[in-house]
Amino acid sequence: MTEPTAPDPPPGRTPDPAGAGWPVAGTMATAPRRTHPLTPAVEAVRTVGVLVAAMLVFGTGMVREAASAAGGLAGVLLVGLVALVLLGLAVGLHWLGWSRTRYFFDESGDFRLDSGVLQRNQRRVTLSRLQSVDVVRPLLGRVVGLAQVRVEVAGGGDSRVVLSYLAEAEAVALRAEIIARAAGMRPDVGEAPEVVLAAVPTNDLVMSLLLRSSTAVLLAVSVLIVVAAVATEGPGGLGLLLLTGGLPIVGVFTQFMRFFGFTVAESPDGLRLRHGLASVESQTVPPGRVQAIEIEEPLLWRRRGWVRVNLNVAGLRSGGEEAQVEQVLLPVAPLEVALAIVGRVLPGVRLSDLMLEPAPAAARRRAWLQFANLGVGHDAMVLATRRGFLTRRTAVLPHARTQSVRVTQGPWQRALGLASVAVDSTPGPVAVVALHRAAGQARAIAEAQLVRAAAARADGSGGRWMATPAIPPAPDGSTSGVADPPVLPATAPDPDPT
Amino acid sequence: MTEPRLTVEDAFAPPGEPWRPVSARLATARRLTMLLVLVPLVAVITVVLVLGGADPLLVALPLVVGLVSGSWLWWLIGRRVRSFGYAERDDDLLVTSGIMFRRLVVVPYGRMQLVDITAGPIDRSLGLATVQLHTAAASTNATIPGLPPEEASGLRDRLAARGEQRSAGL
Repeated sequence: MTEPTAPDPPPGRTPDPAGAGWPVAGTMATAPRRTHPLTPAVEAVRTVGVLVAAMLVFGTGMVREAASAAGGLAGVLLVGLVALVLLGLAVGLHWLGWSRTRYFFDESGDFRLDSGVLQRNQRRVTLSRLQSVDVVRPLLGRVVGLAQVRVEVAGGGDSRVVLSYLAEAEAVALRAEIIARAAGMRPDVGEAPEVVLAAVPTNDLVMSLLLRSSTAVLLAVSVLIVVAAVATEGPGGLGLLLLTGGLPIVGVFTQFMRFFGFTVAESPDGLRLRHGLASVESQTVPPGRVQAIEIEEPLLWRRRGWVRVNLNVAGLRSGGEEAQVEQVLLPVAPLEVALAIVGRVLPGVRLSDLMLEPAPAAARRRAWLQFANLGVGHDAMVLATRRGFLTRRTAVLPHARTQSVRVTQGPWQRALGLASVAVDSTPGPVAVVALHRAAGQARAIAEAQLVRAAAARADGSGGRWMATPAIPPAPDGSTSGVADPPVLPATAPDPDPT
Repeated sequence: MTEPRLTVEDAFAPPGEPWRPVSARLATARRLTMLLVLVPLVAVITVVLVLGGADPLLVALPLVVGLVSGSWLWWLIGRRVRSFGYAERDDDLLVTSGIMFRRLVVVPYGRMQLVDITAGPIDRSLGLATVQLHTAAASTNATIPGLPPEEASGLRDRLAARGEQRSAGL
C-alpha cells in the first residue's frame, strides 16, 4: 500500500503487513473466530431431523409389518442404518460449511462474516448503519445451550446477518461488543445496563388470553352449540364445534408459547423485549423506529384495567418471511404500566391529558355498536383516534409520522352527512382512523393534520424521538418507574352534535 | 371547536382551483377492457346453449342480460372516469375518485418514496399512462390513471423535484 493515509481499506482484503499505516484501525481488528463446534450437529438435526425421525419411527414399523418375523430384524437394522448415514451425511456437509465460517471485526472496525464452501461469501456489517443486534434462542439450539446473534442494519431487503450458533454467554458478549463498537466505545465495556420496566406474570397472561374478545366469543358459541346439541338430542352443529372450539384453543396456545415470560427492559439502545417458552425471542425496539402505537382494550379486560399495546415499527417488509419485527410491545398489563412504557417509546407524550371529541349524533345510525367509543383528538405531538365495540382500540400517531391522509365516504355515510379520516402509517397492526365524523369536519381534520405533520417534520421533531431523556432507574428494578399514574384520555362531553 | 364547519359536499371540494380531470380516453380504454371480458363470455354461453338445443327464449336470456349489464357498465365507467381528479398544492398532492364510495388522498411531497408510471398495452395504444405515488405506508394508494404520457412524465418530474426539496426521514 502506497497510501498510508487511506482510512478505509477496501472490503474483503486481508490486512496489509504494512498495516501500521492505519494506526487506529490496526487496533480495531480481531482475530477470526469460529462459531460453536456443535453447530453442524444442530444444523443437521434442523434440516434432516424430522426426516430421520420419521424414517426411524414409521420406516421400522412398516418394515416389521411387511417382513416375516425372521427377516424383520435385518430390515429394521437396514432402515436404521440408512437413517444414520443420512444424518451423518448432513452433519458432514454442515461441518464443511462450519469449518469455512469465520467472524471477526475488520481493520475499520466493521463486523465481518465469511462463509461458504464452494462459493465464498463475505458479508460486512457497517456498524455506523447498525439498527439492532439481538440474541435469539431457537428451541433446537436452546436444548444444547446455543444461541444465534441477529444483526440488522438500516436498508431494505437482505439487510440482516444471522450468526448461528454461539454458546449463549458468547452470544451475549458478542452482542455487547458489536453495540459497544457501534457506539464508539471500547469493545469490552460489556452489555449495556438494563432496567426492567415490566414483566408479565404467567397467570395474567393465561387469563388475558382466555378473555380476549375473539376467544371469548368463540368459546361462548361453542357452549351454545353443545347446549343446542344436548337440548335437541341431535348432532346438529357439532361439526362446527371443531372450528369454534379448536380455533381459540390453538390461538391461546400459540400466543401463550410466544408471549410466555414477556419482559420489557429499558437499555440505552432502546426497549428490549424478551419472550417465548420454547424458543426465546429477544428484540430491541429503538424509540426512533416506532411509527404508531395502539392501546387495545377487549371488553372482558376492562374491569381488570388491562390493556395490550401494539406497535407499527419502521423497516418492516410486509409479507417477507423475515417479517418478525415485533408488533406487540406488551401483551397484557395494567393501564398505568402500559402508559409508562408508551411514554418511553414516544417520549413527551401524555395520553392522559388528551381529550377526544366524540362522533356526531348522526354516527349512531351508521355505527350504533361502537358509537360510544368513537373519538378523535390531538395535542402538540400526537393524533389519537378511538374505535371498536368489543375491543376498544385507541391509536396514537406522532404528527411527524404522518405518511398520507385519506378521507373516505360510503353511500350510507353520504346519506347521513358523515365521512371518515384515515392517517396512513407504515405497515403494521395499528390503523389510525377517525370513523364517522361530520363530512365537513372530516376534511377539516385531514387538512389540520397535514399542517401539523408539515410543522412537525419541519422542526425536526421526527428525529428528536431518538433523544430519549435520561432514564431514572427504578430503585428495585420493578415496574415502579411510573411517576404519576395517568389514565386513558377521557371522552369530552358531547359539544354540539350538529 | 374553531374549525370551520363545511357542508357535506365540501368534504371532497377541490382546493382553490378546480380538480384537474383525467383523459376521457380512459373511459374508452376501460370500456374496451370491459367488452373484452363480457363479449366472449356471452358468446360462449350462447354457443353452449344453442349446441345444447335449448329453448330459443333461454338462448335470448344471456344476450339480454349481457346487453343490459354492458350498457350499465358503459355508463358507469364514464361516470367513474369523470370522478377522477387531482390537484397539486404547494406542499402536497391531492387525488380524488369514486361515486358510491368517494375518497380523497393527500400525500405530502416530503413523504413520497417513489413515483411509478405504468401503461398496459390497451393504455399505450390509446396514449395513456398511470401515475402511482408510494409512501412508506402500504395503505396510501394514490393512483392517477388515464394521463397522457407527457402529462404523466411532467407530473412525475415535478413530484420528484418537490419530494427532493421537502424530503424527510421516516
